[in-house]
Amino acid sequence: MKKICTLIIALILPVSASADSALVDRVISNHVIPRFRTLAQTTAQLAETAAQTCDLDNGQVVSDYHAAFDAWVSVSHLRFGPTEVDDRAFALAFWPDPRSKTTKALHQMISSEDPVIQLPENYAQASIAVRGFYAMEYVLFDEPTRALGHPDYQCALFQAMTKDTAMLSQAILDDWQPDYAALMLSAGQNERYQTDKEAVQELFKAALTGFQFTKDTRIGRPLGTFDKPRPKRAEARRSGRSLRNVVLATDASLDLARQLGQGEDALQSRYDELEHYFTTAVAKLESPVFAGVSDPQSRVKVEVVQQAVDRLLEYTLGGLGPHLGVAEGFNALDGD
Amino acid sequence: MTSRRGFLAGLAAAGLAPRTTWASAGAPALLAAARTDTGAYVLCGLSAAGEVLFDIPLPDRGHAAAAHPHRAEAVAFARRPGRFAVILNCVNGAVLATLDAPNGRHFYGHGSFSQDGRYLFTTENDYEAGQGVIGVWDSAKDYRRVGEFGSGGVGPHEIKTLPSGDLVVANGGIETHPDAGRAKLNIPTMQSNLSYLSTQGSVIETVRLDPALHKNSIRHLDVSDDGLVAAGMQWQGDKGQVVPLIFTHKQGKAAGVLDLAPALYRRMNGYVGSIGIDHTGRQIAATSPRGGLVLTAELRGRVQDTSIDVYPDVCGVAFGPFGRMVTTGAGQVIGGLASTPNIYPKLHWDNHLVRI
Repeated sequence: MKKICTLIIALILPVSASADSALVDRVISNHVIPRFRTLAQTTAQLAETAAQTCDLDNGQVVSDYHAAFDAWVSVSHLRFGPTEVDDRAFALAFWPDPRSKTTKALHQMISSEDPVIQLPENYAQASIAVRGFYAMEYVLFDEPTRALGHPDYQCALFQAMTKDTAMLSQAILDDWQPDYAALMLSAGQNERYQTDKEAVQELFKAALTGFQFTKDTRIGRPLGTFDKPRPKRAEARRSGRSLRNVVLATDASLDLARQLGQGEDALQSRYDELEHYFTTAVAKLESPVFAGVSDPQSRVKVEVVQQAVDRLLEYTLGGLGPHLGVAEGFNALDGD
Repeated sequence: MTSRRGFLAGLAAAGLAPRTTWASAGAPALLAAARTDTGAYVLCGLSAAGEVLFDIPLPDRGHAAAAHPHRAEAVAFARRPGRFAVILNCVNGAVLATLDAPNGRHFYGHGSFSQDGRYLFTTENDYEAGQGVIGVWDSAKDYRRVGEFGSGGVGPHEIKTLPSGDLVVANGGIETHPDAGRAKLNIPTMQSNLSYLSTQGSVIETVRLDPALHKNSIRHLDVSDDGLVAAGMQWQGDKGQVVPLIFTHKQGKAAGVLDLAPALYRRMNGYVGSIGIDHTGRQIAATSPRGGLVLTAELRGRVQDTSIDVYPDVCGVAFGPFGRMVTTGAGQVIGGLASTPNIYPKLHWDNHLVRI
């Protein structure tokens, strides 16, 4: 009997290990790389458009900005490896910003016509608060910021920001392929991922933290408390993107979760139900920037959207996690 | 040994005489918070053999507790960004006082009493300024807040009282703001330190680690009888980089990173959840719930020997006359005077184990 058991284990282990690596391979090729490629393309396009016009209200500038921001939100859950080198992700997305560092630093920069914007290399050394999508949003959509300084400086600033964003996005993509993808695919044979499971776990955690950030921060911040709702804390409200970001971020985490659970019908149909619950809740919102949080009746609708994301989070934790064999304990998951 | 009659008399008297000693609470050796399997939260007193002597309901998830040095009083902190803490009479479970964080402050979940037990010092966030603060509460005045001073850094987490009576604080370096939940706001520029403070708030000494490791957040600490501080860190940088997570320091001397094989640090997954040092300063134990292990190191100036115990979801750790004790999220209490682990399947022990 003992011999049989040993034999079975010997047969099962390699299969499941290679299943893990096949899974990682699929997720990288179908989810990770295409999304980072879109980010690199859309940010390059934005930089190109910005280089051709100093009219910041130009329709092409605005639509390119939205396309690039969409692409960022759609990878914002993949915070490991290439995004963390040299704090690239922080430079692309400095938010939340409860002490208004972006406004302060940006206004100081424009008022003093800081020459740091003249060279892209220098701009990359500027404070993280004045880089990336959230700082660009002020230059495009925030009236007090627009009113400051000379239009030529505003134009040069926006060009520096878009170029910096494109360089960061390209650097992330370049690191992903081929190097970081290869590292994850050779999990079990390198220092970074010492077992096959560790690469699966990294992707699983990315889906989880994506849901968590959307629930707690993207939705939680404007919700505030019942007595003290905070509509002005909604993410990217100046460009009217708050709800759009919630939808894109949730779709991104959900796509990753579904791909990790590929071939498992029970998981997929549960995700179908949860996705339906989420999209139905979203369809009932009237304001794209969660302006309804101050009114008890429309506030409930925002709470339902938050609840829908929480359900996705909980199911990913309790359903997908055990399926992948990467469940986490009470302290491991939620330390301090 | 407490007689049963004495114990009951203590219980009966508790309502009238709040100044009861730990003996009246069954002489617990340690305190630990837990989540029950029904989702409620409790603070438990544990014997040196790891038996639960009492459990007191908590209003919300507790983080750590601080034990009064003489009286059977414990402070249970809500986890960060918590705005309240409760002082519990551990004999009858009564709430003796509630500490409300003043406007513009929240607790980080740790505190320590002055040597004489009169003052309680709590780590707090002055979040509009992005600076750490130590709150001072007077136990002789129903735990009224009587002052505050800077913690010497950003994001102060664990605080302990030194044998000299001064304080030592782990300033984790991470800026957070309650409006942004638990989001870490300054990782690219964070700077952690270990600060020694007088109880009046003057900074006696500040210890910073290698600038290349500025993303190493010093979070938890413990102190031996002769003032040797052991500190545990949490790495906020790239997970691929294996960095030291434990160091020791004695006031006036250089900090010494615990010289362990990188493979050992790697197994801790960049995360020390809790740390303990024995009274002689010769043994350190650091837990890593993310690595599912406890690392124990023998010191004689430098590391002589190390051992690893694998316990899934382990986090709480403390040394005492009973030796080393650890707790896990799966309900185990391991070590101390018990020869076999006590298992409480309905209790998920939370992050810390506090020696009384």
